[in-house]
Amino acid sequence: MKFLSFPYSGQCLVLSLLLCLVGWISLFSWSVIPISPHDALSALYAMNDDNIAHRIVHDLRLPRAMIGAIVGACLAAAGVVMQGLTQNPLASPSVLGINAGAALGMAIVSTITPWFGLLGTSMAAMVGGGLAWALVMLLGNAWKTGGEHGRLVLAGVAISTLCAALTKAVIIIEEDQASGVLTWLAGSLTDARWQTLDQLWPIALLGLLGTLLISQSLNLLQLGDDNARNLGVSLLWVKLGGSFLVLLLVGSAISAVGAIGFVGLLVPHMARMLCGQDHRKFLPIAMLMGACLVVLSDTISRAIIFPMETPAGAILALIGAPFFIYLVRKRTL
Amino acid sequence: MKQSRPFPTLITGMLILIIANLMFGAVSIPLNEILKGFQQGSDNYFTLHEYRLPRTLLAVLVGAMMALSGALVQGVIRNPLASPDVLGVSHGAGLAAVIYMTYFPASSIDWLPAVALVGGLLAALILWWLCGQSSSAIKLAITGVALAALYASGVDFLMLVKPLEINNALLWLTGSLWGRGWHQLMMILPWLLLIPVAFWLAKSLNLIHLGDDTAMSLGINANKLRLVSLAVAVGLTASCVAVCGPIGFLGLVAPHLTRKLVGGRHQTLLPATMLVGAILLLVADLVARTIDPPIELPAGLMTAIIGAPYFLWLLFRTK
Repeated sequence: MKFLSFPYSGQCLVLSLLLCLVGWISLFSWSVIPISPHDALSALYAMNDDNIAHRIVHDLRLPRAMIGAIVGACLAAAGVVMQGLTQNPLASPSVLGINAGAALGMAIVSTITPWFGLLGTSMAAMVGGGLAWALVMLLGNAWKTGGEHGRLVLAGVAISTLCAALTKAVIIIEEDQASGVLTWLAGSLTDARWQTLDQLWPIALLGLLGTLLISQSLNLLQLGDDNARNLGVSLLWVKLGGSFLVLLLVGSAISAVGAIGFVGLLVPHMARMLCGQDHRKFLPIAMLMGACLVVLSDTISRAIIFPMETPAGAILALIGAPFFIYLVRKRTL
Repeated sequence: MKQSRPFPTLITGMLILIIANLMFGAVSIPLNEILKGFQQGSDNYFTLHEYRLPRTLLAVLVGAMMALSGALVQGVIRNPLASPDVLGVSHGAGLAAVIYMTYFPASSIDWLPAVALVGGLLAALILWWLCGQSSSAIKLAITGVALAALYASGVDFLMLVKPLEINNALLWLTGSLWGRGWHQLMMILPWLLLIPVAFWLAKSLNLIHLGDDTAMSLGINANKLRLVSLAVAVGLTASCVAVCGPIGFLGLVAPHLTRKLVGGRHQTLLPATMLVGAILLLVADLVARTIDPPIELPAGLMTAIIGAPYFLWLLFRTK
């Protein structure tokens, strides 16, 4: 593993290049109308309105790749913060019920009060996710030190199941047809357009910068609550602020593309393997890796039953669940 | 509730629910029409005989078998959080059934229970291999839940890659009695033979509660008993899943409720839990059908909405 011994800046550079490469591939690959790799690039700097390949790249593929990258970065950062706050290696938005809660919130708002618009749905996603998480934390005894790790995870799973069942029930009753629901619940980038990107990036950027700001405190939390307090960390504010950031990140990501799971679980562990336990270092790495992962799985999702699409979230779940089992087995819970 | 005589109460409750299931739905049929409806040629013959009657009977059987299977698993693993669906067995069986249906569409549907059984057994073996014997209650449950999530995402994936009808997809993801008829009822009948086997195990199950050593000195081979009971439980679950999909939380909730009603003696617990399971599924299916007719919710959604909070409560209490 030569990559592991790279200096930190080298790792960042390699990952950024990898992201560009993956993004570029996703611009031209698996299209019904053939797009050459060169078209994909020239659409970026010399856009020709009459060229249909350019139009596809510019109107469909480019926003999709960018949204994928942003969503990946958001979910990975949220996973890092959650694992830092709970000191639990299994914590992540999908395992602890935030994804399912946010989906439930959005389903309720969009079926019962459809005039709310997109801003309303992302608000609903945050509120739903927040409620679900608060409930999981309460039931899982996570705010006290020394709470059991496994209990928290099981509480999260049960809340997720409950929210998912309610979501499906609400949507089946209101919509009279459920075909879109499964795709959306699995998380898919099919409907990603410039409009979605415009609403996504300001909130996402705010959240990502916020996580970088609290990374120092997350480092200190690793020493245990008492030691962190002695070193001048205000536990209440860090935990509240961290939770708020997580909700901001996950809520905006989910309202853009649906409940993509397991990125927040997988990526922090991969990043930690690369560059150790210092949050200031591995948070940016995790964001880059999350972006790569989502863009890559979106490309794969188009390839599997070309020319139809599978939701990217379904592919991530297939990769993520075995990894989850591996983590359960490895750690002494 | 008369604590001393739960059986008459339970049986009456079940009968009332059976009649309610026959009466209500997209079209309500008044009570006095129901008896007439079973005669061929009457107005409601088709609705009752072809649609509601097999479905109701199926709900009774599936509910009873799932609950029995849960009671067996909880009996031998001595883990309050255990049940076939929490341990991933039912989703494993569901995945096997879906693979069979998508990749061998020409083959007979009658093989479905056998295929589901293979899937369920494999799922149980994988769980055993991952956890070993000495796992804590919570770790076993987490691994099972994770495996269940893996199988469910497999089903999800197959459904999205090879789109079936959406009702079918929801059926295999959450479990439902939608569109099930006499044919499915016939499919499940041979598996009822497992029920006497379970009753025959009841006495030994009582002894194993005293601890392995005590049971051993009373002449019970603990490991063999465990293996047989788990195999029976997997068989019961798999046959239900082959017909209705993985209906969640039924095998978890029913035995717990029953233990509160009749206590832990397996000779009474096992039959009582079957009645409770049947009642729960009848209620779930009735609510799922009548909440907003003619739209139908999968019954598995209703059991999840009841069962998940119960699971949380159990978790909260488990030391």
